[in-house]
Amino acid sequence: MKMKIHYKLWKLIPMVVLSISSCTDYLSITPDNRTEVAEYYNSAQRVNQAVIGTYVDLRRALLTNHAWLMYGEARAGDLTVEVGYQALVASQRLNVDQYNLNQISDWEYFYDVIASANNVMEIVSSADPTLLTEYQHQLYLGEALALKSMAYFYLARIWGDIPSGEASDLGQKLTSAEAIDRAMTFADKAKELLPWMLLNDDGIESTALTAVRFNKSAATMLFAQEALWAGKNQEAETALEELSADEAKLSGLGLSMGVDRRTDIPQTPLSRTMVSMPLDKLNKIYPVGDQRRSSLFTISDGQSGATLIVKDASTLEILKLSELNLLRSEAAWKVGKVDKAIEYMLIATEGSTEDYTTLSDEAFADALLLERQRILVGTGQRFFDLIRFGKISKFVPSLSPAAVENGATYWPLSAGSIRDNALTQSSYWSNQQSQ
Amino acid sequence: MNSRTQKLLPKSIRKLVHALLVSSFVLGSIQAQEVLNMDSLATSNRSGIENSLQGTVAGLRIKNWTGTSGVQSTLTLRGLSLDPTNESTAPLILINGVPILTSPSSITGINPLSYYSPDQVERIEILKTVDQLAPYGIQAPNGAINLIMKSGKVGPLHLRGSASVGVNLLNNFDSSKDAFYNFNSTARRKVFKSGSIIHDQSILVDGGGDYGSYLFGMNNHSDEGVLKSTKFNRQSLFLNAKYNITPKLRAHFYNNLALTHRNGRYAGEYDRTFKVPAVEDESYFMDKKRNVAFLSSLGLSFQLNPKFSVQSTAGISYEGASRDLYIPSNILSGSIFASSEAYKRQLITINSYLNYEHPLSADWDMNLKLGHEIRATDNRLTSVDGSRSLESGGSNFVKVVTGYNAYQTDALSDHAKENLIGFYGIGKWKYKDDLKLNIVLRADGSSLYENKWSLYPSIGFVYSLANAVKLPLSFNASIGRIGMLNRPQAYNGELTAKGDYYNNNYLGIGTLYPAFKNAKSVDIFEVDAGLSVQFSPSISLDINYFNKTYQHFIYQRYLPNIQGVDFQYETGGSIGLSGFEVTLNGSWIQKNHFTWTSNLNLAAYNNQVNKLPSDIENTSIAHLKALSSGDAITSLIAYEGTQQKIVGNSESKIFGGIGNSLRFKNISAQFLFNFASGADIIAESFESRYDATTIDGQFPLKNQETPFYFIQGDEKALVYQGIRTIEPGSYIRLNKLQVIYHLTSLFKNQQKIEDFQLFFRGDNLATFARYSGVNPEENIMGIRSTSLGFTGTPLPMTIALGSKIVF
Repeated sequence: MKMKIHYKLWKLIPMVVLSISSCTDYLSITPDNRTEVAEYYNSAQRVNQAVIGTYVDLRRALLTNHAWLMYGEARAGDLTVEVGYQALVASQRLNVDQYNLNQISDWEYFYDVIASANNVMEIVSSADPTLLTEYQHQLYLGEALALKSMAYFYLARIWGDIPSGEASDLGQKLTSAEAIDRAMTFADKAKELLPWMLLNDDGIESTALTAVRFNKSAATMLFAQEALWAGKNQEAETALEELSADEAKLSGLGLSMGVDRRTDIPQTPLSRTMVSMPLDKLNKIYPVGDQRRSSLFTISDGQSGATLIVKDASTLEILKLSELNLLRSEAAWKVGKVDKAIEYMLIATEGSTEDYTTLSDEAFADALLLERQRILVGTGQRFFDLIRFGKISKFVPSLSPAAVENGATYWPLSAGSIRDNALTQSSYWSNQQSQ
Repeated sequence: MNSRTQKLLPKSIRKLVHALLVSSFVLGSIQAQEVLNMDSLATSNRSGIENSLQGTVAGLRIKNWTGTSGVQSTLTLRGLSLDPTNESTAPLILINGVPILTSPSSITGINPLSYYSPDQVERIEILKTVDQLAPYGIQAPNGAINLIMKSGKVGPLHLRGSASVGVNLLNNFDSSKDAFYNFNSTARRKVFKSGSIIHDQSILVDGGGDYGSYLFGMNNHSDEGVLKSTKFNRQSLFLNAKYNITPKLRAHFYNNLALTHRNGRYAGEYDRTFKVPAVEDESYFMDKKRNVAFLSSLGLSFQLNPKFSVQSTAGISYEGASRDLYIPSNILSGSIFASSEAYKRQLITINSYLNYEHPLSADWDMNLKLGHEIRATDNRLTSVDGSRSLESGGSNFVKVVTGYNAYQTDALSDHAKENLIGFYGIGKWKYKDDLKLNIVLRADGSSLYENKWSLYPSIGFVYSLANAVKLPLSFNASIGRIGMLNRPQAYNGELTAKGDYYNNNYLGIGTLYPAFKNAKSVDIFEVDAGLSVQFSPSISLDINYFNKTYQHFIYQRYLPNIQGVDFQYETGGSIGLSGFEVTLNGSWIQKNHFTWTSNLNLAAYNNQVNKLPSDIENTSIAHLKALSSGDAITSLIAYEGTQQKIVGNSESKIFGGIGNSLRFKNISAQFLFNFASGADIIAESFESRYDATTIDGQFPLKNQETPFYFIQGDEKALVYQGIRTIEPGSYIRLNKLQVIYHLTSLFKNQQKIEDFQLFFRGDNLATFARYSGVNPEENIMGIRSTSLGFTGTPLPMTIALGSKIVF
């Protein structure tokens, strides 16, 4: 009996030794309630999730508090957005201590786009060579670069001088021009890498998918916008001329709507009556007879305003394909090819009441500005166009030339931006009463 | 004195204070600093073993913060954390040396210490100093309490039965003193109930012989509580069996299975505002909380030879908690809400060691122990809830069934696992009865950190002058390092689901926070020193000092807004807890017909901030920014003007208890006062509460209130909350009174009846305090908020009559 027990006990010893030697395994738990960063990106589908995450970041940056309209249109005062803080934005009181305005004044969400895009680039470049196909490799890199470019472009247009979001010089101040330069470099690379059309999960070219992700033509349009902003007109013109593919393959860029898991952002930002224009303004911008008037706005009897028509509630167009010919026209005009500019203008403005065939060089700017307003309404371009064409003080009288000189076209820096980045408020905003 | 008369007598000293290392050479024993004998304590009528320990041990702080039945009183024993409400400040609780789940689950809130009846417990060992705690490593940074359960006594079958019945009283309940000072007495009458019944029955059967021993039994406990229709119930079955397989190989099996349940009530428990004119009708309201819990442990010990022995103990502590809630439309103004939650927690431990005993010389003895411990916790939470507006037709009740649909339902499942491995070596050296030296080295590996291992060394000694200098004095001191687990597991970083894209076909993900490679446990350095004086055989005085420094807490650091992630984890911060503990035991009168013994215990504690992270405003502990080095971490902080300042301290500076045991012939009585002093209580005002936008950042001062205020709410809707009063929370309470009448003499001819007693037991009989509320301990955070979050329901006086018989 005694021997037997001894014998059985000694058998336990190897088990104990084994249990000790497997300590490392025992102490390494992969939590199944969380997704950990390490070793997650082990399939193309998961890398794609990171790319999609960057689009979702951009969507949050532009949609939270209807920011794309607040930055790009509400300040010009033509459109009315049915939110409480719209009136503050329209009256240029951007530094009022109000929750939504405070949020719009903060650039955090745009830097999230930059960080996510850089993360995608790191994931793609360090991925196992067999993980991604050549197509995926180029697509994901191209999308990341284009998204990053777009974020910098918005940042520079909204706030002017901004800190860098790149790891190599993180936090270092970039002038507005430097930031645009950087954005152009990224967009330039992106348009080389991106395909005309994206493939869906079955490997078939998909128009619907191409419309909600960056593609060659959308990246080129972004590049052209940036180049024109920077006054590098020749570069814009050259890039746009390269877009000579089959028209059917051209695509703009819209943001696909969906649930944001982090914030309470609107899923239908352009719900039926959300964005409208007072009738008198509408009549002024779109004279009776202009065909765009009824295709863009619903005018109900007895209403004092016209509401913007939402053709596709599942997508919010950021880079409209119909802008392409406007950009081509502008670039051509800027480099002195007036005939060509008029040619593009006529294609772009089909349905207008004006006759642009004899447009003079001097009147070109005004016509272009007006047509851009008409065609691009609701995409958040108007206020930036006014800046680019130097017409802010004319169309927004409360912003005098002196005010513009002092930084009035930019948004004030949020308290967080000043604190975290050792920046100072522009003289215009520091002199404004905050109430 | 024969054995019968011995049983008649209460224990001559109701509390045995052992010197350090008493019986340290017994296999498997714990070197407890203090040992309480359960049968000699005045036990509590309320469920929860901790309530019977209140006021009995210097430094053991137990707060009866609520009158709600089945809820755990807060429990600390030299415990502190950056967040004072953190459950890690609670001591490790063991049953027969096996760690158990201690904290109440968040879904039922039923107290795991209520799974055991005081009748089951033989004695309670309290461990406080670092060298006693070091063998438990990272599990016991803040003290340990080991409950040794009763086991079978040698002899034929014994039978013990007891039963009691009593009432909860809210006597002279002044509704204006209740925490709801914006009161509505009509509503209160509908919710609170004085005279609710409490009853308890238990049976224990035991016996023993050469083969080993057995004890089994059952218990039923029921407490209707002070909130109407919120009865708490516990039924338990237990077994404690020891079997000598051979004279050298022994097995020990312990099992306790408990079912508990408690119903909730909407008005008074969840909605505590009691709006005028009266509480809503609660018909159909349902809130059923059910816990099933067991503790099973199996120990094997084998004596290899006179010097070597091995022992291994495995334990499983499990709790399945579930809650089913339905709120009808008459309460939620037209909508109904239903939810079902289940939380399953398990804790598995295996502790094995090899013991070696060796007499070095005639005067020197040595004992070495090498051990290994595995601990695995696995907690799973699943919940489903949904709500919908009431449709026309049908009754409220029918809507329970039809209330769900896919778009209005939230489902959640969460799972947390943690593993721990410890290796330890304990060396003990003993020189005569003069010197005892204790060296402990423990290494703990935790699944929470990338760099998993930490080493915890400690050393302690006791030196008695009784032999050498003939002085009734002994000194003890210890020093060491120990750790406290820092959560969460953060070293691999975490990804988050950002949102859906492209017809919701694609999910976008990204980094929630980056990998945190420097994660580690909180380090605690502890120094203990003590002096014990035996003035006479019947009077002893113990004075102990300790000083603990905690550092390397994990918190979130909010990143600048160009980083692309909101926060990363970081370690830092250092806080300290130190104090004196004084215990005086006296056996003043020892006559045949009259005895009187007493115990006074007192603790004077001080906690303080040593160092806080720089730029604390951008961290998750920004609420501590008004504190500087030397301030108490438990400070109450409020605004005055635009500045934050310390306006009080939620923790008592001095606390303790005074207990007396008296026996006159066949009657024995025990009464216990407990007290606390030095804490402050803030009462928020209903009259000065402002939406920030309406007052333009300027808090309007109000007469008859303090100039202080809190800023609450989120960025979207800030609220300025005025403070009505700041009051002292000091009190002294007649916590327990127990009178026992021993009737054994009536059964002189009934040889089989060993003892028969009738008893009266009372809890919370009288409180002397300046506090304007009902119970000076009712505010967990020291703040009586307008929402009454963290404020308990009125604590009742509970009295019960019962009898006990032993065959």
